[in-house]
Amino acid sequence: MSEIHDTHAAHVEKEYSILQIAMNLTIACLVSGIILATTYFITHPIAVEKAKMLEEQAMKDLVAEADTFNAVEGQEGWFAAEKGGSIIAYIVPSESKGYGGTIKIMVAVSMDGKVIDYNILSMNETPGLGDSAAKEFFRDRIKGKTSDDLIVVKDPSNKENVQALTGATITSRAVTDGVRAAVDEVTEFTGGK
Amino acid sequence: MRNLWNIYKKGLIDENPIFVLALSLCPALAVTTSVVNAFTMGLSVMFVITANNVSVSLIRNLVNPKVRVPVYITSIATIVTFVELVLEAFAPLLYKELGIYLALVVVFAIILARAEVFASKNKVIPSFFDGLGMGSGFTLAMVIIGVIRELLGSGTILGHTILGAWYNPALIMILPPGAFLLIGYMIGGLKVYEAKKAKKLREVDAQ
Repeated sequence: MSEIHDTHAAHVEKEYSILQIAMNLTIACLVSGIILATTYFITHPIAVEKAKMLEEQAMKDLVAEADTFNAVEGQEGWFAAEKGGSIIAYIVPSESKGYGGTIKIMVAVSMDGKVIDYNILSMNETPGLGDSAAKEFFRDRIKGKTSDDLIVVKDPSNKENVQALTGATITSRAVTDGVRAAVDEVTEFTGGK
Repeated sequence: MRNLWNIYKKGLIDENPIFVLALSLCPALAVTTSVVNAFTMGLSVMFVITANNVSVSLIRNLVNPKVRVPVYITSIATIVTFVELVLEAFAPLLYKELGIYLALVVVFAIILARAEVFASKNKVIPSFFDGLGMGSGFTLAMVIIGVIRELLGSGTILGHTILGAWYNPALIMILPPGAFLLIGYMIGGLKVYEAKKAKKLREVDAQ
């Protein structure tokens, strides 16, 4: 008899605690929400400003001579690098498939269809092998080349084309293809001048 | 005072989160390819674990025991998101580098473990020192692994070339298997050290 009574008491207590549990969680989430909303309100404007600054800095690194960068109308993500009011280069986003997924690149192309420089925005290539594609020595192999010369070769004596990174041929090809696609797009856009 | 120092100290070596408790090995493998990343990750975790210990300790008598884990997780998630927002605003490059691992701090076993084992049963100040100690131990371990991996894997420390051009970087150290090997050897080394210490103590006792 007493056993039944006990079970009943436990049942009542449990029901009471469900409400308490709900209140507990609700209050915890409410407090959490308030804290995060306040933080976001303060940090978000700064984050946006910083992101813009970084983007501008990245473009400045690509085309050092340019003084202003303006978005190109009708071409998403394109920027025209201007010096003294005239366009000296286009900065174009491009992507291609690498060894470890998509490689996103920003390519600066001069008005005569040559690569000025490029910047890898995101990639997931093997550290130590494929990720060297972002380094100066590999960028030097691509800089100054026209669309026709942007072909990956494995012959170290060939200076006309792009020499592949040791142990990362797929990455080298992907980056080179991405850059070439950007150059072709710019050439098409400027009408092959 | 001495008591607090003991609470702090145990996280450094005796109960080091990575080498002794073997908790949170995922970041120890993933973010230790360079010293800077390892150190930033360590500091982030130290901040989160300390702040979480304090907040759990503060609310320990208000929380219904049946929902303590969800409440602790909410607390951890709030603190981590706070860190993320602040890093994004003030150190966007680091934020980008740490990427997904920062968000993963939420589910690090070590943080919940300290909340459950220590902070939910102790007052605020000891909990603060426990978090700080565990965080320091974590940072220490991360930096040690980071230094060794960066040195052997790229021949640099903090981006400065230490080993010259003659050194052919051991790629495996940058890749996850290298980290596994290294952590294994370090745990083994620590065990040998502890065994020697215990033996010495026994000898002293015998005399």
